[in-house]
Amino acid sequence: MPDNDGTIRRIPFTCSLDCGGRCELVACVRDGELVRIDTPPDRPDTVDMPRLIPCLRGRAQKRLRSVKERLTSPLRRVGPKGSDQFEKIAWDEALDEVAKRLTDVRDQHGPEAILHLTGAGSFGGRGFSGGACSDRFFSHWASVTSSFGNMSYWCAQIANQWMLGGTDDAIDLAALLDSRLILLWAMNPAENRLGGNLAYFIAQARDRGARVVLIDPRYTDSAILADQWIPIRPGTDVALIAAIAYVWESEGLVDADFMASHTVGYGTYRRYVLGSDDELPKTPEWAASITEISAETIVGLAREYATTKPAVIMGGWGPQRTRYGEQTERALITLSCMSGNVGIRGGGLTHQGRHTTGRIGAGSLTSGPFAPVVKMHKVTWAQSILDGSLQPAPQMAYIVASNIINRSASTRANARALEQIDFVVVQDQYFTPTARYADIVFPICHDLERPDLVSGRGDLHYNEQILSPLGEAHTDNWVFTQLAKRLGIRKAYTGEKTEEEWLEEFLKSSDLDTETLRSKGIIRTQGGPRPHLAEFRDDPVGHPLKTASGRIQITCPEAVDNGLPSIPAYVENEPKDADAYPLQLVTPHNKLRANSSGHANPWLQRLEPHRVWINPQDARNRGIDPEDLVEVFNSSGAIAIPARVTERIMPGLVAVSQGTWYRPGADGVDMGGCANSLTSHSLSPTGGMAIHSERVQVRRRVS
Amino acid sequence: MKQEFFAVDLANCVGCLACSVACKDRAELPDDLDLLRIEEREIGVYPKTDLSFRVIHCFHCAKPLCAEACPSQGIIKGEDGLVTIDEEQCSSCGECVEACPFDAIVVRPNGEAIKCDACIDEMAKGWDPTCVRACPMRALSYGPEDKIPFENRIEDPDFDDHGIGPAVRFLCRQ
Repeated sequence: MPDNDGTIRRIPFTCSLDCGGRCELVACVRDGELVRIDTPPDRPDTVDMPRLIPCLRGRAQKRLRSVKERLTSPLRRVGPKGSDQFEKIAWDEALDEVAKRLTDVRDQHGPEAILHLTGAGSFGGRGFSGGACSDRFFSHWASVTSSFGNMSYWCAQIANQWMLGGTDDAIDLAALLDSRLILLWAMNPAENRLGGNLAYFIAQARDRGARVVLIDPRYTDSAILADQWIPIRPGTDVALIAAIAYVWESEGLVDADFMASHTVGYGTYRRYVLGSDDELPKTPEWAASITEISAETIVGLAREYATTKPAVIMGGWGPQRTRYGEQTERALITLSCMSGNVGIRGGGLTHQGRHTTGRIGAGSLTSGPFAPVVKMHKVTWAQSILDGSLQPAPQMAYIVASNIINRSASTRANARALEQIDFVVVQDQYFTPTARYADIVFPICHDLERPDLVSGRGDLHYNEQILSPLGEAHTDNWVFTQLAKRLGIRKAYTGEKTEEEWLEEFLKSSDLDTETLRSKGIIRTQGGPRPHLAEFRDDPVGHPLKTASGRIQITCPEAVDNGLPSIPAYVENEPKDADAYPLQLVTPHNKLRANSSGHANPWLQRLEPHRVWINPQDARNRGIDPEDLVEVFNSSGAIAIPARVTERIMPGLVAVSQGTWYRPGADGVDMGGCANSLTSHSLSPTGGMAIHSERVQVRRRVS
Repeated sequence: MKQEFFAVDLANCVGCLACSVACKDRAELPDDLDLLRIEEREIGVYPKTDLSFRVIHCFHCAKPLCAEACPSQGIIKGEDGLVTIDEEQCSSCGECVEACPFDAIVVRPNGEAIKCDACIDEMAKGWDPTCVRACPMRALSYGPEDKIPFENRIEDPDFDDHGIGPAVRFLCRQ
């Protein structure tokens, strides 16, 4: 990289926080010190290849790298678990102790008594993220216990599997410019995925005449881009969809040809919608009492959606993180089919999330002979420790790049579970709330302090090591190399390669222009995937889906096996403790953090104070004034947090954005306002996280 | 005299704050200071809620009240249209901070008054100002009056320019 700016070197890199976007940044370095994060000034900006402009989280990486919570030396806990009483120790001492513990537990209790927990930290580096390294390390050492499940989009994935046979619904963003109607179905790209141009293309589509409708219990920042806001009671999307279907059936607006030629089981859903069997037609009036959307609005939405083409539903993941999240996703797919938009450019249903289509191939670390024993559920892992159902009883936990007590449901229970485990290792960039429950803490390099490859959507980024590690921090790969030496598996783990040599190897497996990749920091491909299900639409016989019938399954035997109706019918979530906890709770992602990453950044904390959103009606009923410190509580826990009294949220509901760090006070109330202090381990029928079906009460905090 | 304008497309500004962080980083400001902030305006009563975000920084006014207020005549409206603070003249009195109706001037811990300088060093390289380049929504621009992107937009009638000719145009849908 030439010195192209006097004394300042401008070096490209990409941020790999777990937001889903992968954006181009430039590190400005003078004499080995980071002076600024910038964007490349010279990139063209076209529809085929728009600039990848980072959001504020990426822009604030300079400050994040050196916050006071950054770990710079190995630590050993000297106080009670959960305290901040730790002492610095030497790397050799820390590594010796962890290696001895690993060996002792394996020999005395078997490797299954060791839990390997990872995920959702700084994980975008495809080569040497914490999880990639720990997976490889354990696979060369012993079959430890690991987890299954998915907190992000479990129910969306299940519904897609059942109905479509497992497909990637990502679309070419440029296709949005052909859309005439965009339904933002609880999708909030302006806050949780600004990088990656999702919001930008929606805005562009609107300037070209598309209408945008936001269906969301909150007036999110994305509402700026919407022509209409339809607030909906959380957990009732399926009722709204049934009512739209009713209007379409009544007015002859269903694409009946498509349903006949491409789907199976629609007749059963039709009977449900019309009330043929239960004498309960799913009319707009019926749905109005459930969703709190007026019948008139439902009819208007139904007619507009049926008659404006192409129309695309952009689905957020919030509505499927509910007690019956499978039904939400099944109903959305069904509605999209009935509308006739499936397989059409600018139409269909997308979550724009899974990032698999259009990826540029490159190698990654391979696994050794010891497969993990996958038996811990990612949502209920703590519960299975606390109730003793996880056997053999765990003796040790090794947690890599994951603020796991904070980011998984029911934080207080998660902390108690870690307290029960004899020996806990946490390997992270930051002294997170999870690290407080560790016996040994290993400090890890920031992304700017290590080389890696990062996969984006249709692009591949190369990060060189730009800065020296802060303090005594090392890479995840270095830590596992040192442990591997002590455990006698160095050769197997390292493959006798340095990180740079591994990266060479990953690139060798493809025919990429590695010169360009290294000098520009990025290789991009033009254009995105074909419309989702386009081949199937054109020729359902020649391109059958991987379902039992080869067609789209409106009826799903798997649903029945899981205790759900065979069709995407509305299942009411009967709230328990509705009297004690009358308010619904949602815990959205916001723009300041990617999960809990970035919480510690004072630049960002200052920009938007952490507050609970509450409608003025609900605030008034509780004697709460704007900015009052309140307690939000339920049977899982309680948080102390200022109130944001706002017309941007519907009554009967409060919102606490997720990701702030858990900080229990003397009375057990979480002064950090961690949203998961209020969530439970409850699951949907197939095992989706049901955190948006929680209920709470709010009261002024008496200090 | 030359005069260029900031333009902010209120229809597409989602208040993401990327511009604010980018500006703070470039200006090497302490944690608790910003030169560019976003004012969120919530309007109406549920469910007729409405919202707008307004980017606020020094707008290099035609009649800068800060310059009038500076007792050492250290603030100048230049031939390039920019309002600049002469560090040498600044006595840290804070009069300019008080005078600016947009609250666009802040004081560093060392007493130096500081505000948006339109990224003159970057523009000299042919780049757009940092905030403009930082906008993921492409809602910000800076340039001559005839380049203000008025297509499908009108000037926001609600903006109070305090009668001092701020070099900014807030644009909204008709």
